Amino acid sequence: MNPILELRGLTKIYARSAAVEDIDFTLLPGEVHALLGENGAGKSTLTKMIAGVVSPTRGTILFDGKEIHLRTPSEAVSAGIAMVFQETSLVPSMTVAQNLFLGNEKFFNRVHGTNISAQQFMQSLSFDVDPTAHVANLGAAKKQMVEIARAMLLKARIIVFDEPTATLTPEEKRHFFELVVTLKARGVSVIFISHALEEALQISDRITVLRDGKLVVTDATSNFDRAKIVQAMVGRTLSHELYGTKKTRVRPAGRRILRVSNLRVGNVVKNNSLSIFAGQITGIFGLVGSGRTETFKVVSGVIKRDYTNGGEVFLNGKAVRYRVPAPAVRDGIAYITEDRKVEGFFETMSIKLNVYVGRLAKAGLHKFWIRNREMDTLGDKWIKSLQVRAVTRAARMIELSGGNQQKAVIAKSLVQDPELIIFDEPTRGVDVGAIAEIHQIINRLADEGKAVVVISSYLPEVMLLSDRLLVARQGKVVEEFSPIDATEEKLMYAAVH
Amino acid sequence: MLGGVAFDQQIIVGMLFAIIFTGFSLALPGFLTIGNLFTLMRTVAVLGILGLGMAIVVIGRGIDLSMIAALAVPSGVTLAVAAAGYGLIASLAAGIAFAIAIGILNGFLVAYAEIPPLFTTLAVGIGVAGVGQSGLFEYDIVPWPPSLNSIAWIGRGALLGIPYSVLAFAAAAVVVAIFLRRTRLGLFVYSIGDNLNAARIAGFAVRPMVVLQYILSACIALFAGLVLSASSSNMDTRIFNLTWIYDVILVVVLGGIGLSGGRGGVLNVLLGTLLIGTIVNGMTILDISFEMQNFIKGMVLLAALLLDSIINPRNEETAQQGDI
Repeated sequence: MNPILELRGLTKIYARSAAVEDIDFTLLPGEVHALLGENGAGKSTLTKMIAGVVSPTRGTILFDGKEIHLRTPSEAVSAGIAMVFQETSLVPSMTVAQNLFLGNEKFFNRVHGTNISAQQFMQSLSFDVDPTAHVANLGAAKKQMVEIARAMLLKARIIVFDEPTATLTPEEKRHFFELVVTLKARGVSVIFISHALEEALQISDRITVLRDGKLVVTDATSNFDRAKIVQAMVGRTLSHELYGTKKTRVRPAGRRILRVSNLRVGNVVKNNSLSIFAGQITGIFGLVGSGRTETFKVVSGVIKRDYTNGGEVFLNGKAVRYRVPAPAVRDGIAYITEDRKVEGFFETMSIKLNVYVGRLAKAGLHKFWIRNREMDTLGDKWIKSLQVRAVTRAARMIELSGGNQQKAVIAKSLVQDPELIIFDEPTRGVDVGAIAEIHQIINRLADEGKAVVVISSYLPEVMLLSDRLLVARQGKVVEEFSPIDATEEKLMYAAVH
Repeated sequence: MLGGVAFDQQIIVGMLFAIIFTGFSLALPGFLTIGNLFTLMRTVAVLGILGLGMAIVVIGRGIDLSMIAALAVPSGVTLAVAAAGYGLIASLAAGIAFAIAIGILNGFLVAYAEIPPLFTTLAVGIGVAGVGQSGLFEYDIVPWPPSLNSIAWIGRGALLGIPYSVLAFAAAAVVVAIFLRRTRLGLFVYSIGDNLNAARIAGFAVRPMVVLQYILSACIALFAGLVLSASSSNMDTRIFNLTWIYDVILVVVLGGIGLSGGRGGVLNVLLGTLLIGTIVNGMTILDISFEMQNFIKGMVLLAALLLDSIINPRNEETAQQGDI
């Protein structure tokens, strides 16, 4: 059977580092192909290239044996490739029928006529969705049906699903699997990104595992089992060179600084309980959607917990409830964000001014004037102590590399002399050289007796840094490990359902 | 200290000003005389003072369309209270209290109720002007009472040939410059305008600071109102119905204070004010009709906004956060 889609040497390079490198991949007609890998393994980048959202740096895409160049998603759709994203791309205020024909309306639209043709089309797919219902009122599974129906209406021959089951209930999941079978029967090929290994084993025909942007293995699903997939996902070589050997000694727990009990935030954090101790690094590992970031954003006042049955947060034994970050900062909590561009630094300002803003944010009201000398001294001190490499202390943030920006953001928080420091993905988008230096900074803080939290979805990072390892899954911490007897496989087992 | 991106536009506007100024000087007889230059500056002094208040809000990534109402009504209140026989201190206090109330209302709605500043200040401006015109004052025009003559100099007369209104503008510029560049609160304004989320996570009390921005702009508008009413011996509250507020935005944007926030400063307001003053003065000497002048100003504002969006492009994040 000739493949409907073939990728040859597909490569995408962002800012000189390869997100996806030399991928050779085939998709057969009517095949369900699962794409697995850790966060950041390159699954999303790969599928976005297939769907025309990003264009490849190198390599060719062959569709039905012919080479194609997709510049926009709409070109991909008209070629017959549709992508169903995690957050649905439907318009919530419109009806199902309107959404189905969105972008393909006739000049004069007859509401009744649209509804009837939508109804007929839905029935032909045996989807039980009312075409006159508003999309906002539909459940996640029905929304997905509408998305799929739209893809089918546009005569898609390949449908890419990005984490389709992440938001579904077990009942809805079963329904989704039936849909996939329907699609398959109609000769549509499906690419299916998932974190849930069982699902992949259950519904796919073939499995491809990506790791660090490279394709590790492609094989028929029957040749895989859970253990084999996990091993393919984590067994990396590059990381060992970079991260050295396994931890043999851990710092003992000091005073209990933070206790979180039965925390709830919407349906993201569900009855989460954990404690953080001084003088050690607590690593929090979990996949996207495990509620780890949200938990610590509540602790630092960035977001609020639920009003009723929201649980409790104790700082040094005292119950606290922060509505904004300012009082949390005053009480010695620093949250260093995973998205520094959006909520980390001030791009029009210099490094020293960013650090100084951190100092002034915590200073009392008596501080009225800006003192240039104080700003210069602080800037020099932190640039030296965190090894920020910039031409001058007056260099603007926007001109720095990712690693140096991250160091400046860390400096902006450390200048506030916090007692509890929360690093959320501290080395995301950071160059390799700076990773080791940032790890050094984190270790130094723990040695100084601070309570340090490192949230990371990168296994080698948490394994190397942590003195204590917590694994979060679906809104709460489910397991605790000592890094001495933890293995990457064990952590991954705990983190996936 | 914070210059940077707005710098390019500063140079462009500076050069534009130099070219237009030289052109008018050569082509228009009577333009380059001491008398005309003082006239030029006097006509834009009040506009410049308003621009300083607008600058604070725009740097903090907001906009204040209620400034003309805050210029007319609180200063009208001051005049009316003084006319009713209360002393200088009491009447000034009444005006300041009114201005602060407007600022708090604006700031509260923007920061706590999270209504976009464009709509908040538009509505508050209309409301305040309505209150003034329908309830507070007997006539639309509030005369300057003799009891306030002791401070009438801020709008009248001249020191060493320089009109006091121009000196008032200069003094306000110095105060605002010191506030923005040398005080912690000024740095807060820049931080909020640059990246509101980062300022919040760093531990700033962001929302009270936004309220303060609007209080400051209302108080500066009151000051502009006092200068204006002293120079014309009355406060014509119908001024709200004119298109003045667009001139204020023109001054700020033309000077190079990006509407995306966090950029520019007092120097940009001075440049914008001088440029507008020169264009308007030249057009008046050329006897261009008022309507035509509006058309030209509109075109200049459009060009300035276009330039702003090219030089300070809004990325996705600022487009989501900024409401203007």
